[in-house]
Amino acid sequence: MRDDPSVVALVIRATAGDQVAWDEIVERYAPLVYGICTRYRLSRHDIEDVGQTVWLLLVEHLDKLREPAALPGWLATTTARECLRVVAAANKTELRRNERDESTWFVDDKAIDEEILMAERNAGLRAGFAELPARCQQLLSMLISDPPSSYASIHDALGIPVGSIGPQRARCLDRLRRSNAFLALGENETAGKVLGR
Amino acid sequence: MRDNRDDEDSFAALRDDDKLLAALGEALSAREAVPSWFVETGKNSYAWHNVDAELAQLTYDSYSDQRMAAATRSETADIRALTFTSAHMSIELEVTEGSLLGQIIPPRTGTLEVLTAAGTIMTTTVDEIGCFAVDPKPDNSFRLRCRTPDGTDVLTGWITL
Repeated sequence: MRDDPSVVALVIRATAGDQVAWDEIVERYAPLVYGICTRYRLSRHDIEDVGQTVWLLLVEHLDKLREPAALPGWLATTTARECLRVVAAANKTELRRNERDESTWFVDDKAIDEEILMAERNAGLRAGFAELPARCQQLLSMLISDPPSSYASIHDALGIPVGSIGPQRARCLDRLRRSNAFLALGENETAGKVLGR
Repeated sequence: MRDNRDDEDSFAALRDDDKLLAALGEALSAREAVPSWFVETGKNSYAWHNVDAELAQLTYDSYSDQRMAAATRSETADIRALTFTSAHMSIELEVTEGSLLGQIIPPRTGTLEVLTAAGTIMTTTVDEIGCFAVDPKPDNSFRLRCRTPDGTDVLTGWITL
């Protein structure tokens, strides 16, 4: 995300000692780090271990990130490496006894790249969603709930006439497309800049 | 490079309302899937931001070996061995019922601090063959920080005994 000013600014502020900026970095990237841990089917104990290590390494590494935009890539490869360390330790004992776990996600650059792209898209969509007015957030939340809310229950909850739900859904999605975060995401994705290579 | 694909995964596909809504749903549920303790751990890590030490990572823990081998090698079950490694120093720990002993590799003198979330709770010396003792054994999670006269400054990850 070379051109994503928000991420670059967060890294610069966190490096300078701003805890609020650090918290935002964690909020934004926790799904990326956690998601990779779950790919490796780690236990809760091991996820805690990997998580602690990755965040501590980032705290230590923050000042040395020459290119703050390279943060997602750095986080993804560091997390994958830490997961492999834990898996390798388990291989010495448990997996040797049991049958090889077919579900273990063996890391390759392509899998990591896909994970980064998806995490960046998700982060951009969440940031765009956060820019929306509350009534759009409520409506879209109900529409994506699982199972989806019926128009009648949306009417009951939000007081929107059933006939207006469709048009409002379209308007809210259009606002999402025009949000700053979504526009930045589009520029980066279409320019192939998310991976910064 | 412009993205001219219009397949399922391309950004251009998000022009479609249904696909955008589905993508938003995935984005929000990916965040909801992350447990709050995981996020809190990340936020709390920032307390170590101004600590100018090198991180030593856990590279060996006999604990998992013991659980597996307890049936066959029960005599090893009362000693736990841990190794933390960084570029300039390794710290080897031996934990028994009543004590926590350690040695730094390569061996040299230094000072050793025991840190918890509350700060430094104990400082001790490392002798000329690199050995140290932490007494009493910490009850809560802690980290060890070792400094030697040659300027090496190493901090372990969190340890829970």
